Amino acid sequence: MTIRARDRWIGLGLFFGVVACLLASEGGQGFGRDEGQYMRAGERYWGWFEELARDVHEGHPTRAFSAASIDRYWSDNAPDHPVIMKTLYGLSWRAFHRCTCTGPARGLHPIPVRGRHVSLPLFVRDSTAFRFPAMLMAGLLAWLVFRFARAFLPVPAAAAASVLTIAQPHYFFHAPIACFDAPITTMAFAVGFAYWKSLRSARWGLASGAVFGLALGVKHNAWLMPFFLALHYLWMRRGDLRRWRPPRVPLAFVSMALAGPVVFFLHWPWLWHHPVDRTRSYLLRHLEHEHYNFEYLGRNWNLPPTDGDLKLLRATFPFVSTALTVPVTTLALAVIGAAVLARRRCKAATNQAWTPADDTTLFEGDAAPAGRSDVAMPVAAPLGASWLRPGVDVDRAPGAFIAVQALGPLAILSLPSTPIFGGVKHFMPAMPYVAIAAAVGLAFLTERGLAALRARWGLERRERGLAAALAVWVCLPAVVETRRSHPDGLSHYNMLAGGFAGGASLGMNRQFWAYCVLPMLDWVNSHPAEHGRMYWHDVLGDALSMYKREGRLAMSVGDTGFAEPGVDRSAMGVLVEEKHWALYEKFIWEHYGHLRPSLVRDREGVPLVLGYQRKGPP
Amino acid sequence: MPPDPTVAEAAPRANATTPRLGSAAFVTLIGGVVLLATLETAQALLAPSRAPTKADWTAAAAEVRAGLQSGDLIVAAPAWADPQVRMVLGDVISIPMATRMDDARYGRVWELAVHGAHADEAHGTATRERRFGAVTVRLVERPPAVVTYDFLEHWNEASVWRWDPAARAATACPWQGERFTCASGGSVHRELVEVDTRIRRGLLAPPVTGAILAIEFPAVPLGRELVLAAGLHDVWARKYANGTVNVEVWIDGQPVRNATIGNRSGWQSLTVDTSARAGQTRPVRVQIASPQPNLRHLAFAAEARR
Repeated sequence: MTIRARDRWIGLGLFFGVVACLLASEGGQGFGRDEGQYMRAGERYWGWFEELARDVHEGHPTRAFSAASIDRYWSDNAPDHPVIMKTLYGLSWRAFHRCTCTGPARGLHPIPVRGRHVSLPLFVRDSTAFRFPAMLMAGLLAWLVFRFARAFLPVPAAAAASVLTIAQPHYFFHAPIACFDAPITTMAFAVGFAYWKSLRSARWGLASGAVFGLALGVKHNAWLMPFFLALHYLWMRRGDLRRWRPPRVPLAFVSMALAGPVVFFLHWPWLWHHPVDRTRSYLLRHLEHEHYNFEYLGRNWNLPPTDGDLKLLRATFPFVSTALTVPVTTLALAVIGAAVLARRRCKAATNQAWTPADDTTLFEGDAAPAGRSDVAMPVAAPLGASWLRPGVDVDRAPGAFIAVQALGPLAILSLPSTPIFGGVKHFMPAMPYVAIAAAVGLAFLTERGLAALRARWGLERRERGLAAALAVWVCLPAVVETRRSHPDGLSHYNMLAGGFAGGASLGMNRQFWAYCVLPMLDWVNSHPAEHGRMYWHDVLGDALSMYKREGRLAMSVGDTGFAEPGVDRSAMGVLVEEKHWALYEKFIWEHYGHLRPSLVRDREGVPLVLGYQRKGPP
Repeated sequence: MPPDPTVAEAAPRANATTPRLGSAAFVTLIGGVVLLATLETAQALLAPSRAPTKADWTAAAAEVRAGLQSGDLIVAAPAWADPQVRMVLGDVISIPMATRMDDARYGRVWELAVHGAHADEAHGTATRERRFGAVTVRLVERPPAVVTYDFLEHWNEASVWRWDPAARAATACPWQGERFTCASGGSVHRELVEVDTRIRRGLLAPPVTGAILAIEFPAVPLGRELVLAAGLHDVWARKYANGTVNVEVWIDGQPVRNATIGNRSGWQSLTVDTSARAGQTRPVRVQIASPQPNLRHLAFAAEARR
């Protein structure tokens, strides 16, 4: 088997392995406020395609493109988020759900159900069908990371980069759900990957624009990507700056500037009839986004801080959160990898006999034949760079590339004016690069360790096995920790913090948007005399509809509405444990007349959701 | 996958260097990483089994019930374990106990703790300690403060009025239903409040525009000290407004203490030394004013103590 073929199989194995793990585990994760909305929107967007098919069938193919028809479907969840993922969620649901749509839950669909759907019923639950594209995107990320890392690293370390990217409790939590944070992590990596390749390939320069356009259609994090890439580009071509010559604007940036907005506009029907006004409202929606409540180091943050001490504390948020959520072994390896990459830069500056292939050599001794002969290396491209291939005459500075891609998102989130309500998910695009840095550290340790063994004990024949064993060993804690965290990855903190309990004691955010109520549903179902008047606190109607559609929640369960009036009308209720929800627990104590929960859902002793009954526990 | 023009198979590269064998730093590094990975894996596997179980909480609760006396305080450590404690002992933890102003009046404190934590309230001499799985029950005893006057318990004995500095006029705010209500705006009543994301019981007395709200307790038997705690109720109000509130304590017609309460104040405690008036019964007035009273839901509680 050729090296390429072997890499292809490993890449595919990682892709399918990740998708399989996510499919096997996603059923334990409930629906949050946002996910329920995106599922609803995805199904509604599908309704537009149904209408388009009907119009075509009736000989009026343009009718579905009228402003009224488009707005009827595509105004859902606008201007909040563009629609690539939501459309994929809707299409996946339509294609793969097992239709019970004409049963008792018929009225819970956001569009009229005209009859039994013919589908390929791959999944038992509607939600799995909705979530499937997100899982594919996570698999794609695993594959892309492996492929990128293989340019620098041997197979075990490159595979470890891929595994360590996925095996992070917070990433793994977001990976299977029908939202955008894991998909934009994939797209951010894809944009970086395309840009990296574009430095020596015009074809990739053209592709960068399309990939960036697709990223814009996934989530607004994409707006920031060119800035990070530009930083790297300026660093890579710092020789031009030293000679007072402005660097050439590379094809990738031209392509991103031209194709990006076009793809973005074309993918979102809601923009078609009012492109300027609606693009503006989309931009403003995020530039002026509200700061929702979020706990960090014992404080509830819901505004940009104005006091100096709080600004300083707030600036530490992404760095402390990373330090307390990413598995510790991964972090330690990433620190070693960062040191290796920083040292490489110093050496590269003094290397006189430079060739383009050298920028895949990350550290001295990085080419031991037995362990590294299979490393794919860049072709020594002809010198004489142009804007089409601006990286052929210079070292592409992989360390700087990884640094800006990892630190860029963290730096943005360290600005006190940036909302932090999503926690780690807001800077998750940094995480693949943290994992790659860890893999660089692993490769360094492996190479040096094997060389030492080789010299002392002559263990050449066992080198591959030892390298693989070390890679597996350092991935093990991340995998075990991720397994431990499931399905409550949002509440999980690493060994430095002390796990779930340590995170709670440090005053780190426990969760958001009520993903955690799924294990409470049996308790709710088991109280038919009371659950008709159920207070759902932070759980939105869209999530309740989905639970009912899937048979996880009895159709007789009611919803008394929000806040104090909702509590007042209720006979039982749930309360999600977050710092700022104390106000709502007060409503329950006042209206129920007692403070004793009937049920506490916890992880390792840390309360996540409380169940109350007006009449008190039995 | 088509061949990538930027990538080709590499020829085996020469081994560039001979590693420094036996480098202590390198051995430490690689050994450290392997050890770290082992420890982290073991910790992830073992930690869940060290978490408290329902049976631990139930057994701990039985221990507390067996020795519980009237007026004992029950607390959780860390504070995040409070719902677990309320689930098993919620029938003996009253709402006033859970929403207390502070813990000074409690001479005996039952602490149910996990992970070796201790509650701030559990200071004193530990007279009993037993472990039930992952939960440790500790009884702490200390001399309690004797409360000579609980302002919350006597709140309907107060008189409330608005003082309008511009008109130099005071307007009484009569008792109406369940609260004192001022005709030109303003009210005072007792309720559960959320201050600094914790539930308390207090007198909710939001400041009014352009006037001072005064709550006077005509006959307070004073002791060694008078303690008042105040804060701003409602997480949303603290988010959407940022004015400050001035709280003044007057005894016998003289101002004795004041504080400025803002979004960052939390549940701020003011202590007034009343030892010179100990044993005397005096009027105590709390005056509340704010230059920006919008959404400033000031709440306070107070006790005179011997």
